This record gives sequence, C-alpha cells and structure tokens, in this order.
Amino acid sequence: MMHIAQIQASDETGVKAPTRRALAKQQTRAKVLAAARRLFSEQGYEGATIRDIAAAAGMSTGAVFANFADKSDLFREIMTTDMLALAEAMTEAAAQGNGVEDSLQKVFAAGYRFYQTQLPLARAAFSVGWSPEDGPALRNAPPVQTMLNLISSQLERGVQGGELADGAASPLRTQMLFDAYLSNYDHAIFQGWAPEALQERSRDQIRILLAGVRRS
Amino acid sequence: MTSPPDLTQADDLLTDKLLASGEPAAIAPVPVTGVIAGVRQAQKENTRNRVIEAARELFDTQGYQGTTIREIARHAQVSVGSVFTTFASKYEILSQVMRDRLDGLYAELDRVMPHLRGATVDRLRTMFAVHFAFEVRHKKLFLAYISATYDWTLPSTATPMGRNLRLQDIMRESLCKGVAEGDVDPSVDQQEIIDLLMAAYVWVYRLAAWHDADAEEMTRVMDRQIGLIAAGFSPKC
Repeated sequence: MMHIAQIQASDETGVKAPTRRALAKQQTRAKVLAAARRLFSEQGYEGATIRDIAAAAGMSTGAVFANFADKSDLFREIMTTDMLALAEAMTEAAAQGNGVEDSLQKVFAAGYRFYQTQLPLARAAFSVGWSPEDGPALRNAPPVQTMLNLISSQLERGVQGGELADGAASPLRTQMLFDAYLSNYDHAIFQGWAPEALQERSRDQIRILLAGVRRS
Repeated sequence: MTSPPDLTQADDLLTDKLLASGEPAAIAPVPVTGVIAGVRQAQKENTRNRVIEAARELFDTQGYQGTTIREIARHAQVSVGSVFTTFASKYEILSQVMRDRLDGLYAELDRVMPHLRGATVDRLRTMFAVHFAFEVRHKKLFLAYISATYDWTLPSTATPMGRNLRLQDIMRESLCKGVAEGDVDPSVDQQEIIDLLMAAYVWVYRLAAWHDADAEEMTRVMDRQIGLIAAGFSPKC
C-alpha cells in the first residue's frame, strides 16, 4: 500500500515523466491483461493458453512472456488488481455499517455485487485457489490479507463498542467468517443465486458465527 | 460388407453407459453369447479397475489438472481408446475414484454414528475426526477433487465436493437427534449450519496440503471450528 501511494504521488508532481518506451510497455501489458481477462472468463484458467491470449491481444507469445513470467503470473495480476479494488469497496462499505453484524454484512455484500458480473472469473479463481501449485500464492495475495484485516477490525470495533465479548476478534472467527463469505459463491456460480440471496444467507451465517460472543 | 445390426454391441454400449454414470445397472445385460460375453465383461471390469487404480495414484501425486487421460492410460497399461469406452471424461474417472473411497468411509460412519452418545457437538467432532483419519493419507487427491469442482469441463450431472448429499445427510441426522435431545435449537436453519460445517471442513484441508498438518492437527482445528458453530445452534436460555 505504501509504495503505491508513493508512485501516485510522484506521478502527480510530474517529477518523473514516463518515457515513450515505458508507455509502450504499459500499453502492451494492458492489452495482454484485457485479452487474458476475457479468455479466462470464457474458457477458464486451464482452458486459456498463453498462445490464445497472445493471439487475442494481437501479439506474439514472446511479447507476452516479455511482460509476464507465466500464465499463473498473468492470472495473479488480474486477480490482484480486482481484489485491490474490491478491498477498497469493502472498506467503504464497512464504514457505512451500523454495528458489527451490519458492517460485516455490508462488507460481504460489496463482494457479491463486485463479482456479480464476473462469476466465470471467480470460478476460475476458485479453481486456481485450490490447485496445489498456484493455490497458496493466490490465497496469500496481499489484498486477501487486507480483507481478513477488515473483518477482524469489524470484530474489534464490536468488542470496543460493547456488542461483543473480549476475545471475539480471534483469528479463527475471522477466518471462518471469510470462509463462509467465500463458500457462498458456490451458490452464485452453480445455482445462479442473486447477490441479494447471498447477502441474506451471509447475514444468517454471521449471526451463527457471532452467537457465542454476543453480549446481550 | 454389410452387417446386420449388432445387438451384442448395443447391449455393451448400454452397460458402458450405466457403469460410466455410476448408477447401479438397473437392467442386467442380456447374456447373448454366453461365455464370450462373460469374458468380455470380465475384461471390461479389469480395464475399469486398472484405470481407477492408476488414476487414483496420479491424481494423488500430481493433481487433477496435472493429469491427462493419456497418462492414466499409460499408467494403467491400457489404450486411450479403452479408457474412453469405459469413462466419458476425466472428471467421471475422478468421481468414481472418490466414490469408491468415500463408500468405505460412509460405511464406516453409518456403522459408528448410531452408537455415538453425548452432545451433538461431540458427535459432529467424532464424525469429522473419522473423516480426517480416513482421508489424510490422500489429501492431495481430496484437493484435486475440490479443485475439479470449478473445472470448466465439469458435466452438469457431476456431484462435486460441497454438494455431497450423503455427508450432509449424516450431519442432518445428527442435528435432528440434537433437536430431539434438546441441545440443538429447533428454530435454527439446519442447512445453514451444514453449509458452515462444510466450509470449515474443506478449509481444514488447506492446513493439510500447504502446512503439512496431520490428521490430529486437522481434528484439533476442526474441533475448535465446530465449537464456534455450535454456539450458534445451541438453544438460548
């Protein structure tokens, strides 16, 4: 997060204007990423090859490899960009919440809305997330940690506000809330649940997972 | 060369389909040519077993995506063609591998569960402990199964992880018993509890796969998760 802020700051002050070459490289990356996003959504992670992606972007496979180490690197980059934007949307949503239950519900709802139009990509992400080789890197991507921290800080706020008992913000409860949130995507991917239905389901799950630490 | 419609072959195809779909053969194959048909049936059974055996090993060592049908055929020492006459797809093979394994597990659970005494939370803990002890030797296979759930080529008829109804039934029975015995709140939505238990159960496999947890550690973490969920289904006083 820190170094992103720094880059933006230097852009704004115009201290270091990007060279033409850097610009061209940036455009190439953007083209590859757009093509890859489309193909991953259409054919899944395994179905989309670097060769297909290069062709769709109108360039050689060599040009793709000059910018990305491999397919998993490319996929991780797309997911990281999305998850950064999502983490931001979730943080904003949390701020609108009234109490711990409502805040968590709004955080999760932000996620369901975010992926509503890109469920195929979410499906590909779950597939990668469970694969033995690429799973850990995706699961441990920095924005995932941001989301976990966000959940944990809602619980902390609940403790401070007297809604929840001390110790409610445990890593276990945080992880279980996050897992419950993720597991609901299956309903959207396979059974076509709308974001509202997912939201309702997650509200009940939040209640169950907080029941043991709620102060009456 | 014209040949009359070959009824033997038609029957074989039907049998293939029934076998491949995993349904019990409702219609017994007609014993058209006696001994020859018997030999053919035995050969097919043999091929089938070898393919499953080979696939189990390969999925368990190199995952679902990393394993091709061609490799499975080579490993089983059968032709690629005969793999395809027995199974419709790679996922079909994986499903059968899992079904064979899980049948053993569920038989064990069916035997154990009715005799369990104590609180619902403890019965659930025992149930998952049995799972982990049974599965931990093949945890990669299990991960392959979960990952395959999201595979693009998954047929709509497949019953992947998470929609495993038999496991859900066992949990539901346990919760119903709890309602009868008074330690499960009758007003909670049991499906929601089951979904949370499934999410927790699946999560524990990440510990196994990526942090090399053994069955004991998986059970310890699952016990804590079940305890946390149980706070949500215990009757409020």
